Amino acid sequence: MPDEKPKPNFGNVKSGGSSTAPAAPASPTPTSAAPAATRTYTVVAGDSLSKIAKKFYGEGNKWKLIFEANRDTVKNPDLIHPGQVLKIPEA
Amino acid sequence: MFPHSLRIGSFVTVLTIGVALTCLSGCKRSEDAPAAPAPPAAPQAQAFHVIRVDVGNAIGADKKVTAPSASFKPTDTIYASVLSEGASAKVDLSARWTFEDGQVVNEATQSIAPTGPAVTEFHISKPDGWPAGKYKLEVAANGKPAGTAEFTVTN
Repeated sequence: MPDEKPKPNFGNVKSGGSSTAPAAPASPTPTSAAPAATRTYTVVAGDSLSKIAKKFYGEGNKWKLIFEANRDTVKNPDLIHPGQVLKIPEA
Repeated sequence: MFPHSLRIGSFVTVLTIGVALTCLSGCKRSEDAPAAPAPPAAPQAQAFHVIRVDVGNAIGADKKVTAPSASFKPTDTIYASVLSEGASAKVDLSARWTFEDGQVVNEATQSIAPTGPAVTEFHISKPDGWPAGKYKLEVAANGKPAGTAEFTVTN
């Protein structure tokens, strides 16, 4: 009976990459509805995500919506900087 | 008599100077206005194509593999640099890494919009080390084979 060699597990391989060429714009997702306009907000001194959420949604506890929409630039929800531009998703 | 000769002499002098000035200014004009060079040929947009795929265990700031190699240690991060030329509004550049009999190690795609020569790097690492054996990298541009590289990992 042949002794079959177990296959290695590559499940934990980490990968990445980058290019000197600019990234291609993402293809627009086909949709029947008109895309919602993207709102942005520029952080000013004294702002917090909950203050901004209250300003846009009327409820400070909706700050997570903003945090989730800006995970690429906001790593810590307690740390935003004046001048930072945040995407404000629809509530 | 004398005044008449003087007038003729003056006239000849003035005429000579005038001719000389005309010649000089004419010559200068021709120096200032050289023949118009032929207009350069309109640059032709070069279609995107991959020139070369290199693998190594490090890349430089230009994203090129610093020392291409075909042999790696289990602890190495393996980098692949894809050198390309040409422009395209969008190219899906993919890297498919396989082990020995074709077992897929990793697949990744980058969408780029090159405007000329470009270097795109892919890298893979395995925290618990690469199994020894033969590996292959296949690079494709928009799904079409564009280059390959083979390497081994030895303990």
